[in-house]
Amino acid sequence: MNFFLEVLIGGLLSGVMYALVALGFVMIYKASGVFNFAQGAMVYLAALSVVGCLEKGAPLWLAIILAFVIMTLFGIATEKFVLRKLVNQPPIALFMATIGLAFFIEGLAPMIFGSEPRALELGIVDEPIPWILDNWNMVISKFDLVAAGVAAVLVATLALFFQYTRVGRALRAVADDHQAALSIGIPLQHIWAIVWGVAGFVALVAGMMWGARNGVQFALTFTALKALPVLILGGFTSVPGAIVGGLIIGASEKLAEIYIPPVMQDLFGGNFGGIEGWFPYVLALLFLLVRPEGLFGERHIDRV
Amino acid sequence: MLYREAGQFKTTYAADQQIFPIRQDRIAVIALLAVAFVGVPLFASEYWFSAILIPFLIFALAALGLNVLTGYAGQLSLGSAAFMAVGAYAAYNFQLRIEGIPIMLSFILAGLTAAGVGVLFGLPSLRIKGFYLAVATLAAQFFIVWCLTKFPWLSNNSSSGVISTQKLIVFGYELDRPVEKYLLVLSIVVLMAFAAKNMVRSSTGRAWMAVRDMDVAASVIGIRLMPTKLLAFAVSSFYCGVAGAMYAFCYLGSVEPDGFSLDMSFKILFMIIIGGVGSIMGSFLGAAFILLLPIFLDIALPYCADLFGLPFSSATVSHIQILVFGGLIMFFLIVEPHGLARLWQIAKEKLRLWPFPH
Amino acid sequence: MSKKIGEVILDLQNISLRFGGVKALTDISFDVRRHEIRAIIGPNGAGKSSMLNVINGVYHPQEGKIFWHGNERKRMEPHMAARQNIARTFQNIALFKGMSVLDNIMTGRVTRMKANFIEHALWFGRARQEELAHRQKVEEVIDFLEIQHIRKTPVGRLPYGLQKRVELGRALAAEPSMLLLDEPMAGMNVEEKQDMCRFILDVNDQFGTTIVLIEHDMGVVMDISDRVVVLDYGKKIGDGVPDEVKNNEDVIRAYLGAGH
Repeated sequence: MNFFLEVLIGGLLSGVMYALVALGFVMIYKASGVFNFAQGAMVYLAALSVVGCLEKGAPLWLAIILAFVIMTLFGIATEKFVLRKLVNQPPIALFMATIGLAFFIEGLAPMIFGSEPRALELGIVDEPIPWILDNWNMVISKFDLVAAGVAAVLVATLALFFQYTRVGRALRAVADDHQAALSIGIPLQHIWAIVWGVAGFVALVAGMMWGARNGVQFALTFTALKALPVLILGGFTSVPGAIVGGLIIGASEKLAEIYIPPVMQDLFGGNFGGIEGWFPYVLALLFLLVRPEGLFGERHIDRV
Repeated sequence: MLYREAGQFKTTYAADQQIFPIRQDRIAVIALLAVAFVGVPLFASEYWFSAILIPFLIFALAALGLNVLTGYAGQLSLGSAAFMAVGAYAAYNFQLRIEGIPIMLSFILAGLTAAGVGVLFGLPSLRIKGFYLAVATLAAQFFIVWCLTKFPWLSNNSSSGVISTQKLIVFGYELDRPVEKYLLVLSIVVLMAFAAKNMVRSSTGRAWMAVRDMDVAASVIGIRLMPTKLLAFAVSSFYCGVAGAMYAFCYLGSVEPDGFSLDMSFKILFMIIIGGVGSIMGSFLGAAFILLLPIFLDIALPYCADLFGLPFSSATVSHIQILVFGGLIMFFLIVEPHGLARLWQIAKEKLRLWPFPH
Repeated sequence: MSKKIGEVILDLQNISLRFGGVKALTDISFDVRRHEIRAIIGPNGAGKSSMLNVINGVYHPQEGKIFWHGNERKRMEPHMAARQNIARTFQNIALFKGMSVLDNIMTGRVTRMKANFIEHALWFGRARQEELAHRQKVEEVIDFLEIQHIRKTPVGRLPYGLQKRVELGRALAAEPSMLLLDEPMAGMNVEEKQDMCRFILDVNDQFGTTIVLIEHDMGVVMDISDRVVVLDYGKKIGDGVPDEVKNNEDVIRAYLGAGH
């Protein structure tokens, strides 16, 4: 039982890490209807920027600020030079453009900051919490707990931002109806630039947490692949959906990784590890067949 | 002046419905086929066959398959490489497990196997659309590659799923020289390209395009969405499957599941974006472009670096390649969403009028 | 012009349709007779398009019965309506934007084509003959609608009025026994409207097609239709020949507002 709980909690906490990346997708999708495949590459770029600035001798706080500036500039440039030119294209063309964007970043970022894997030291160690280990005999990582805390703070910040700032309200208006927002004088393109800035910020947070945990390396771009099933489960437009979806995916994939391979081994022989790679997708796919709009997504009726 | 259709009157609908209604086009295509079947084998070197022409034809076929699904039927897939993998492993197993089965038959069966798997993963398309579906096809990508790695039976118990393909014996004759393999691949690709063209210019293709352009209207005029979408998945996967079988048998000779990666799926997607979404010829142009670009950059970049005295590592070259791919995708989507095929068409229209501007 | 209006071919009884809590149609009954032009009118949001969508199976009413040629119709999907020879056009043009005029109209004949994809791939035998035979038929439609000059043009490049005409062509290509037209003249100038009226009357007259029509232009409706149904807020408030409807007080109130 303890072991099950340990796996479950570990899974939930890593799910929080997925949710961090998924949040960036939700931001952009909500405000501009773009499904930004490049979010993973942005996580990579953000983490690389922090490490790059640190290597140049900047202190951590300055590196974070500089990285934030880089991400914001990058976001604005993306909006201005790519998305604005694709405004009336079908969503699928925009999606493909963001795949191109992902490749572009994956080529550009290491050219600027170097491609060799590096550690990012934030002063949080990835070790079991002794108190839980002693009393409950479970291995729960201190780092994961901190990451969960960071995610909670991030979500709270975003919620406050959307609820109480002028820009946040404008963003919600845009998300609800582009035309209507435009007609009451909200400048769409500024809003989109801001959204990309916010998404860059979310990527920065995610990049630092992921980078500190697994090292800053190309594999960070794969975080996007982890976030996609989360989005399907939670719905593309819902912040709580991203969190809940992340938790479900994180927990279920860890449990599946522990409990499914032995069963398959009994059935077929051989080694069946590595289920994590596809399990979230198949789970999300099955879920889609039951509820195509996701847990928190909006159902819509085709009008003709 | 040479490219005119003046004086070519079409008096029957049959004449108007030809694949190449303009006489000069027909001559050009026949000339091109003659060069491909006769000229190239006479003059090309072994390197050209095995490093450029064979992979070009194979990827063009895979791109054609994806184009049927994405370009014509409007269902975006990010799992083309996985369907190629199914084709490769199916062909291997048919050869391995059925005594004396002709290679051509096992290619066809491999295509059919891939088609079956494609239909299975196409089922969600009945309920979900757009990028939801794109994400669903990622499930196929990851799940299939994982299965091929983990089920030892599929690779005849080899470690990590590597297979070495059997000999290519066609009608009792063993094909082992690159030129022979080239001719085999070329014949298959040409036949399948014409078949695809015929499908997309007939009622099948119109149903696909109708579903792509507006599915509600399509169903109102009597097109059944489910069979139409699933047929697109089946045909597309069949093409990818045959391409995969040839990729293993005629190109590499030995493949592993991880070779059919997400990156390869993206590459095939890039081929159709750059070549032309919804164009048979675009699949060929795109495949050529995507395959030749890295070769070109490999040669050109160090040269440029020398010219400007920049220190260029091989890592930098590969980063620039990725960057250029990404940049080109965005460029084409913004500037010419219909890709090289559309540019070619525009050039032809200009040529029809040349030397007059209008 | 002597015109024979026949028996009832479509009979809708007590149809109610809801979307979640929103009532789109409430307890509506009316019938359509063979060979007539039946108009559905009403203010915006009255449920006219929903009515057409119920007839051809895009929406499924929660209550009510539909009889088609005297047989009760079970739940059906849009493509089945097409197979029962019901064709339609849409309020917001629903052409296939990436295809040429010719191809768009050819899709209208999809239910009559029997060759499968393998025959198509080989372009052999039945597939080839079918393509030619149906092309012949489609050319007749193109001639009828006077759009020969644009047959190879992608529909996306055509002006609005011509697109509407092509959409009518696609519906006609199916040789329907019943044609549903959703605001065929919306957004047209007078000349285009006259053309469209002529086409509708010709279709009705020459091919004997029964027509169910939604239209806002009262002049046109009163001129060409045989009987008119009036909807308001999802309810039927009037039904009869144009003169009857014109003098119906509920109808006048719905159109001009209370107090008149």
